[in-house]
Amino acid sequence: MIRLEDVSLVFQGGSVALSNVSTQISEGEFVYLIGHSGSGKSSLLKLLYKEYSATKGSIEVVDMDVTSLPSWKIPLLRRKLGIVTQEPQLLENRTTFENISFALEVLGFDEKEINEKTNTLIELVDLENSMYKFPNQLSGGEQTRACIARALASNPLLLLCDEPTGNLDPDLSIQIISLLEKINRAGTTVLMATHDSSIVNRRKKRVLQLSNGKLVSDVEKGRYI
Amino acid sequence: MKKLNYVIKNTFINMRRNPLLVIATMLAVLVSSFLVFTTLSARAIVENNTSRWQNGVHVVIFLDDRVTSTAHKQLQETLENYPEVRMVEYFTKSEAMDEFKILFKDQPELLQEVDFDILPTSLRINLNNPADYKLIIERMEGNAAVKEIRASGEAIERLLSLTNTLVLSASIFAGLIGFAAFILIINTLRLTAYAKKKEIKIMRTIGASSTYIRLPFIFEAILESLIGTSIAVGLGWGFIQYSKTSFIADSIFDITISDSYLTNLTLILLFSTILFGFFASFVGIRRVLND
Ligand SMILES: Nc1ncnc2c1ncn2[C@@H]1O[C@H](COP(=O)(O)OP(=O)(O)O)[C@@H](O)[C@H]1O
Ligand SMILES: [Mg+2]
Repeated sequence: MIRLEDVSLVFQGGSVALSNVSTQISEGEFVYLIGHSGSGKSSLLKLLYKEYSATKGSIEVVDMDVTSLPSWKIPLLRRKLGIVTQEPQLLENRTTFENISFALEVLGFDEKEINEKTNTLIELVDLENSMYKFPNQLSGGEQTRACIARALASNPLLLLCDEPTGNLDPDLSIQIISLLEKINRAGTTVLMATHDSSIVNRRKKRVLQLSNGKLVSDVEKGRYI
Repeated sequence: MKKLNYVIKNTFINMRRNPLLVIATMLAVLVSSFLVFTTLSARAIVENNTSRWQNGVHVVIFLDDRVTSTAHKQLQETLENYPEVRMVEYFTKSEAMDEFKILFKDQPELLQEVDFDILPTSLRINLNNPADYKLIIERMEGNAAVKEIRASGEAIERLLSLTNTLVLSASIFAGLIGFAAFILIINTLRLTAYAKKKEIKIMRTIGASSTYIRLPFIFEAILESLIGTSIAVGLGWGFIQYSKTSFIADSIFDITISDSYLTNLTLILLFSTILFGFFASFVGIRRVLND
């Protein structure tokens, strides 16, 4: 599903976000990407959907060679991915329902399908009571769930979540994690970046740890100290 | 096809965002297209009229009756040998009289009073190029057989140069106003793109292609321009139709312009408008939607 080989990312100006990262993630896995703030988690996720281009190395995601992917093909890659960015990106002047249906509309579904699928997604992330609320009327957790629902609009093979529990209290964090695990059980591969060790330690999943842009550990059923 | 829904819907949503700018753009395109349409039509009308004259008589040489008819014939031959001359017709006194009678048949009092003997014999000259009338006048000057020379070329020339000046100055104004429309479109699109920054970013993340993201902007520019041009062309057709029956037609000359000329002009204008809108939108969103 994902393969990185000797991947480095150096920004203009010389700051090194990632250096010589190699790893593989198979279909159906649930993987945590952990590390302190600034360790390169977001950068790694952005490389996977070609928001950034690797300075060195090769990247393969959902059977596509991302490193040599021409820019006009980036949309094809992204339609196979679900992307939840670090800051919830919801349109302020649209309701939860509209924010989700917007994605389906952009993806070219017809009106009937849009309504059906939006309702299914809202049910999945448990936002039935907030579907007609606007983003500023939603809690942080609800916003994140709306973003997850939208990311699932294209039935992605792989879901990339950047700190979805970033500013949530533990109870709400667990809600989000449970949701992601449910999505994973339904067959979607999940890669989630976080700096929250308490969650990771409890869930006993595979853990990749980044430190200063280097991949320092990769453990099955991992713990994070 | 389903995907067009989003594009068309957003074209209109975008246009509603800056209604004043959209109206200003349409007006600018309208004025510009109207200038192009009417002046090109006007020129076609003038050309049609002058080409009629061009097939007619360009120079008339009235002959002196005191010279012998042999001299008249000689002069005719000389003229016929000039390469600029297509045809020379010898118009006798009686032919002149017949023509006069026809021309003034409504005024019997006049016909009764006129002494037809004063109507001179003349040579009616048809030139290959009416502009060469000056050459003929120069060569005939001082010729004993010539009493007087009249040329219609002068009038035609003045009219054509007037039309050309009109077309040129209208084109310059059309160009300036067109440029204003161009700037208006660029600004409208940029305002919209800026306001929709977040939406566009989300679309990219979802996997919308950049063509798809651009299409509402391209459609908006083309649609605004096309509406302007369509109204202009409509007004232009109406104006010409009206002129055909109005006083202009009676007083100056026939409003003869073929429907196929107008149709072609319309199609070319509409097509240019599409290109114009496309190009303006291309410039307008090139930078803005690139990251
Ligand atoms: N667009 C950018 N330009 C320059 N430096 C960047 C950019 N994005 C991230 N960085 C740098 O790369 C490093 C890793 O950042 P990031 O991937 O955001 O870390 P994390 O998500 O783990 O907090 C940081 O030192 C950060 O300052
Ligand atoms: Mg980050």
